[in-house]
Amino acid sequence: MSTAPSTAAPSVRRPSRAARLRRALPPWLLLAPALITLGVLLLWPMIRVADLSLQKFRLRHLLRGEREYIVLENYQKILTDDHLWLTVLPNTIGFAAVCVAATMLVGTVVALFLNTLSTPWRIICTTAIMVAWAVPALTGTYIFVWLFDPHSGFVAGVLEWLGLLEADTVNWWNNRWAFYGIAALNVVYHGFPFIAVTILAGLMTVPKELYEAARVDGAGAWRRFASVTVPTMRPIFAVCLILSTIWDFKVFTQIYLMPGGDGSNRSVMNLGVWSYTEAAGQGHYGMGAAIAVLLTALLLVISVVYLRTLLKEDDL
Amino acid sequence: MIARRTVLAGGAASAAALGLAACGSDSSKGSGTDGKGKTLTLWIMEGTNPSTDAYIADLKKKFKEATQADLTVEVQPWDGAHDKFVNVMGGDSAPDVAEVGTTWTPEFADAGGLDPIGDELEEAGLSGKYVKALKESATLEGEVFGAPWYAGVRSILANKDLLSAAGVDKQPGNWQELLDAAQALKKKDPSTIPFPISGGSPFGLLPFIWGAGGEIAKQSGDTWKAAIADSPAVEGVTWYTDIALKHKLSTPAASTWKETDALAAFQKGDVGMFITGSWVPATIKEKSPELYDKLMAFTIPAKDSEVAPSFLGGSHLCRFTGTKEPELAFELIKLMTTGEFAANWAKQTNFFPGEQSALDEVVTSGDDLTAVFAKQMTEGGKSVPVTPLWGQVEGKKTIPNLLNTVLTGGKDAATACQDAAKEMDQIFDD
Repeated sequence: MSTAPSTAAPSVRRPSRAARLRRALPPWLLLAPALITLGVLLLWPMIRVADLSLQKFRLRHLLRGEREYIVLENYQKILTDDHLWLTVLPNTIGFAAVCVAATMLVGTVVALFLNTLSTPWRIICTTAIMVAWAVPALTGTYIFVWLFDPHSGFVAGVLEWLGLLEADTVNWWNNRWAFYGIAALNVVYHGFPFIAVTILAGLMTVPKELYEAARVDGAGAWRRFASVTVPTMRPIFAVCLILSTIWDFKVFTQIYLMPGGDGSNRSVMNLGVWSYTEAAGQGHYGMGAAIAVLLTALLLVISVVYLRTLLKEDDL
Repeated sequence: MIARRTVLAGGAASAAALGLAACGSDSSKGSGTDGKGKTLTLWIMEGTNPSTDAYIADLKKKFKEATQADLTVEVQPWDGAHDKFVNVMGGDSAPDVAEVGTTWTPEFADAGGLDPIGDELEEAGLSGKYVKALKESATLEGEVFGAPWYAGVRSILANKDLLSAAGVDKQPGNWQELLDAAQALKKKDPSTIPFPISGGSPFGLLPFIWGAGGEIAKQSGDTWKAAIADSPAVEGVTWYTDIALKHKLSTPAASTWKETDALAAFQKGDVGMFITGSWVPATIKEKSPELYDKLMAFTIPAKDSEVAPSFLGGSHLCRFTGTKEPELAFELIKLMTTGEFAANWAKQTNFFPGEQSALDEVVTSGDDLTAVFAKQMTEGGKSVPVTPLWGQVEGKKTIPNLLNTVLTGGKDAATACQDAAKEMDQIFDD
């Protein structure tokens, strides 16, 4: 190959094809392991899910190796279902919006606080909050369910002691707002440490001179935060925002494990639980895949909007 | 073997015929099966039997003696077992024989994963030896896809101290007497929960639907039609939920309870009586012996009689279509579901054996608690609709949703039953 001369237009300045290949190859070789891993672990399953979402796929299709394409019927069923528009989507989007806002707020405040501490105290406090982050969602959820148990839980006990509640008269799991309120506490509690630590890392890179200059100019704490911290930290905020949006949109464990969250109380269903009960619960794998594809599409749209509004192109 | 491969490829009807042909000719050789040098794989579920290891060792020894074949036993956790079965059924890693939950058997059989054993049971003289309701739940379109191994049933368990303080000491003969008993408990001590209505447990509701003469769904020809919105079923749902809503004999928290939550409350002494499984007394005995001494059991009454039909759940032993040794597989099923091994398993697990004679033995030799549960099982043992589609109704949580909706006052019983019926019919018609 390398000897094949380019007979049509021999040119001294243009390197031969082989030379160009030699130069182009190393970066791709270096990237190859990562690309192959991504392809196998991410791209291929995604293609499979998209393919599945166009089929009527049940247990018998799996066992008999049959394929039954119904093209967009799954999507049509989902998109014409009132359950999606009145319950699942509002629950998913509303819950994610509240959780993302709360996680970002708490995370930022905690980061600002940590930034003011001396190094030993900062390490102690950071470790402490990271413990909350390291607790598996499953364990964390059981703890919240136990705390809020309406019959004999800690919270019911405190409310009763304060005279705000008569024992055994309510079951807040059945109330859509209370259910998601408790779920939000769980998710924010579990999610803020990561945000706080990431923002703290960003805060520590903001040049001190900027703050000094701002102070000389007479800027107060709030003004310094708004005009110095926020603009410098914009990319970090963007990453945190996108990550927590993704996490809070596809929340499943924390909802599924709460009383009534497994589908027995339909008013608290979200996209993740819906997809699961269709696919794993009822064996409608095609339908479950279609719901998952919708969730992914929704997240993609939101991420793009974020990136467009938060970052100019040269920031990335 | 060729026949067996075709089973996977072909439709259900032709599959059954081919499978039968294969089995028929195989078993004509009789019981002198020579399994020398062959190995069979068996899956059983984790956690049912505390002394599984000893049981498996005995089983391996006995199986080797009987057939000269080796046995590999894999213990699978219940959690995720359904998905695991589904995943292996298409491939070569499927077991030869496995324990399958009774409500899964029709689904797996319909999908083509299980091999019918009806003719071999007939030939071995075992056809009529199993508990009827359990065999029914393994029967799909006239074919038997598994042999009953063990089962449990739900009845009422009560706290003797609380009951005798309230002057309740006898088996309720009908709904009214059950209500009277619960009301007496409430009157004596308003802080107890006399009879919790657990919203997350469909098995508490079913005896009341059946006990009023209702059905969940009815079969006509090849299709099923929901019957849960018919008047007897609605009457059952109304009466059961009224215990909580009208008579206030439950607690609001119970509307999201599962069976385990009710048990936890009972163990704390907060609950007078509750509906629970026949395996629960043994659990209580292990955790709190002093509470065990205070236990009392009643059969769940029907509207006008002592024993309502109650869900009979358990496991079948099934032969999988991928097996290369159908005869040996059947020998193993026979060994485990009859005689010594059936009785021992039941004894070790505190479940009831699927073999009728072994069950009778347990009833006559067991204690008072066992006798009550056994009575519920023999006189009232009933299966949920035996259709491959039932798994979807379970997966959709149709009945827990019905209970939850009524208990939280979202809808009245009749409307909620209509919604549930509509949901079931959508699944049945699909």
